[in-house]
Amino acid sequence: MSLKKAVAAEEAVVLLRTRICNPNFIFSLFNDSSDSNYSKLKFIVSSSVTEACNNSILLLGPRGCGKIAVLDLVLEDLLKEYPEMISVIKLNGLLHCDDNCAIKEIARQLCIEHELMFSKMASFDDNSQFMIDMLRECGLAHKTVIFVLDEFDLFAQGKQRLLYSLLDAMQSVSSQAVVIGVSCRLDADQLLEKRVRSRFSHRKLLFLPPQKEDLQRLAKYILLLPTDSSLPPDYVLEFNSRISNILADKRLIEVIDKLSDSDSTFSNFLRFLFSAVSYIDLKTGLMTLDNFKSALSTIHRQPKLDCLKDCSILELYIMVCMKRLEVKEQESYNFNSVMKEYKTIHDSFQTSDNYSRSVCLRAFEHLLERQLIEFADRGHNQSIEFRSVKLLIAPSELHQGLKSNRSCPAILQKLMES
Amino acid sequence: MSQEEEETPQTTTSRRTTRLSSSSNPTQNETLKKPITNLPSLTLKNLTFSHNNKPFSYDDLISSLPGRKPQIAEILRLLGPVNSPLSPLFVYGSSSTGKTSTVLQVFKYLNRPFVYSSCRSCYNARQLFDNVLNQIMLHRRSGSNGYSGVKKCEKASDFVNFLKEGLRSVVEGLDGDMVYLVFDSLELVRDWDKSCTILPLLFRLGDVLKVDGVGLVFVSGASIDTYHSDTGFVDPVPVYFPDYMEEDLRQIFMRNQSNLKLRSAFLDVVLKPFCRVTRRLDELSTALSPLYEKYCEPLDDLSVVPNEETKRRLFSCIQPHIAPALNEIFRVKSQQSLEAGGKDDLKRKTSSKKFGTSDSIDDLDFHMSTSAKYLLVSAFLASRNPATLDASFFDSTGGSANQKKKRKSSEKSRDLKEASEQEMFMKGPGTFPLERLLAIFQCITSGLEDSLEEEDGLQGGTGLGGNGGENSLMSDILLQVSSLCSANFITKGGSCPLEGSTRYRSTVSDDLALKVARSLKFPLSKYLYRR
Repeated sequence: MSLKKAVAAEEAVVLLRTRICNPNFIFSLFNDSSDSNYSKLKFIVSSSVTEACNNSILLLGPRGCGKIAVLDLVLEDLLKEYPEMISVIKLNGLLHCDDNCAIKEIARQLCIEHELMFSKMASFDDNSQFMIDMLRECGLAHKTVIFVLDEFDLFAQGKQRLLYSLLDAMQSVSSQAVVIGVSCRLDADQLLEKRVRSRFSHRKLLFLPPQKEDLQRLAKYILLLPTDSSLPPDYVLEFNSRISNILADKRLIEVIDKLSDSDSTFSNFLRFLFSAVSYIDLKTGLMTLDNFKSALSTIHRQPKLDCLKDCSILELYIMVCMKRLEVKEQESYNFNSVMKEYKTIHDSFQTSDNYSRSVCLRAFEHLLERQLIEFADRGHNQSIEFRSVKLLIAPSELHQGLKSNRSCPAILQKLMES
Repeated sequence: MSQEEEETPQTTTSRRTTRLSSSSNPTQNETLKKPITNLPSLTLKNLTFSHNNKPFSYDDLISSLPGRKPQIAEILRLLGPVNSPLSPLFVYGSSSTGKTSTVLQVFKYLNRPFVYSSCRSCYNARQLFDNVLNQIMLHRRSGSNGYSGVKKCEKASDFVNFLKEGLRSVVEGLDGDMVYLVFDSLELVRDWDKSCTILPLLFRLGDVLKVDGVGLVFVSGASIDTYHSDTGFVDPVPVYFPDYMEEDLRQIFMRNQSNLKLRSAFLDVVLKPFCRVTRRLDELSTALSPLYEKYCEPLDDLSVVPNEETKRRLFSCIQPHIAPALNEIFRVKSQQSLEAGGKDDLKRKTSSKKFGTSDSIDDLDFHMSTSAKYLLVSAFLASRNPATLDASFFDSTGGSANQKKKRKSSEKSRDLKEASEQEMFMKGPGTFPLERLLAIFQCITSGLEDSLEEEDGLQGGTGLGGNGGENSLMSDILLQVSSLCSANFITKGGSCPLEGSTRYRSTVSDDLALKVARSLKFPLSKYLYRR
């Protein structure tokens, strides 16, 4: 019996993880209303396909709000509705922001679509001529070419030759193309040059982070196991009832509020759900409220405080000396001044932690590696003992870190406060 | 007999011929050619960690990585059951905390195929792409394919296209099993990715590839908030590796020891004070191993179990060594000084040591030619002394500076002195042009030519006292300057905008300059400007 349960639990976990890592599944929840971005986008693209006209549109919104996912869903649906009338070319600003690269990629994808041989040796002019010819041919055959430009703002750097040639090619009567730009910069259209912007229709779709009710809906949608799957039905029933209880619990609502207060995008919420699902105990196969609470603490890490907990005592001494120098209002100080302060502390308090200069220098370098301190100047002209440094953590953080460090001597805390 | 015959033609060949042409000899060609060993070609099985038919259980995993049980559990639960999709993982922690070994051992335990590439051995994007593609496409560089990679991949777009193909065929070949891509030492990418395209690409690799059955694991020495990017990226799921606590360090140091009680007694004495300075495993192990040898010295029989009496005796023997060892904790001894270690101990025991002073070995533990030492000293003086005082220090006789008459300093001049000392403290050594360095060098060495000529011919053979060698002396000295620059004793700064010549700066510490001067028997303090 327990073996069956363990197998079922594993299957359920795999199913939930697949759902969470699949953006198409996630964003298909919000597509039903006519007001949604999905329907608007679908309408625009399908009307340009059916009416054989050119169009351009920008999808804008913060990262992790589903722009590419919704676009993929729209394209999937349209490819099913109009099978022979659409071809899709996908470009990414991270990979193809160089014009040569971009045109080559367009030519390559066009060749694959239309089963032609692609020559890697073709030059930029050959490729761009090929693209214009293909656009004309597709227009004559009443086929729409849809260009998807991911990370649109990266294409808008430099001379914008690609954007200009694409939008210019769309101006001719015989071409049928739709250019869809996706960007996380809300001012992406301001980055366009004048001549490019004039050829661009200023349609923009804004993708916003979800409201709190939407998050609740999404959690239910993802976590409730389907009753018609291969999982044993009594297990599914138990799991689902547990989930509904937890989701209605006020404490979970608090947890979700805390999560979305810091970052309310979909991707953060999905990360949280992924973490929570990974905490499922495979012996019982059920989720508990503690799963969600532990997931929140793993997502909400404080790296600098963790770093401070790891510092050795000598490193803490150096940081306290730096803080004292800052309190004394020395605008810039370097390792030599820190060593002077360190020596004065030891002369006045006779502590046991008096180490030589080379040891302190190495501990100083460790602090630089951990990025708790940083050089305040940009040049590399001087050796590290003379370059001015600054603390990258606030005094309150340092104080908190000293308290949380297990082996911190009491004298350091006293020095911090004085 | 044949060896002597070979040597004579080689010694008469000029320096310009390459080794290949000078060693090519018709009678030797057959013997020189060694058989090229053919390594077996790679298969899909090579993507998983090889077990050598030894089972690797969960207990083996936990015991091979002491102190890492919670992190292992975290990674195991995030990786999930077989073939479950993975959100990208970001494993981070400071250096030598066992991140890479844990990730690799977990993959060994789970027996899942993965592709590992380190951004430390692949020092630019192209190398990284090559490495990943070679592993995915099961390509081994060998003599038969001219040690070339599988595909010529310069740009990220080509990399993504080839990777897509390769991953699809691998996933097919593995019957739908997942493949994991592990990127190690990711923090180094920040330094070589000035245009900030590689890091966002790596973090978004899952979305860009759109291939099912790929999981990404990133291992980094720095936390995710230190990765700055213009337009940001979606954060991966973090896994934190804290530094080892003292108990874990103790457990690690007790591994693979023949005499556990002795080791544990040693660690009782030594571990706590050393942990106050650093808790990094690599530094502690290099510092503790010579100390352990010293600890075991008084014992005749190393396998004896120490009782309280022995422990106290050993403790009293080792105690005077602990404090100096603490001050040397980060020092990596060079080969010479390791051999000469015994002599240094005697020196240290006899001289009285104050707690906390840096002890310096009197001899330099590296070798430098005499002219290089003089150059170093000249550079040090040029950086420390203001240029206007050169004339008074180095007069034409090359003698020592005339002593300034000591006057009672007023309070104002004392304040001025303190302020200028503070400035010197903060600004560091000054810059000087090359001509000044050479002028000081000539001044210092001209006074010594007479004394050197009296010495043995061996000592004077460094070229200083050479008669017809004025011109060759100068070119040798210029070569020495450039070698000192590459050894970082002198740094080359930017050029002065008015004069247009490059300025140099000496980066040698006071101790080292004193040591060098002492080895030359040069009175450094007489030439140093004291404010």
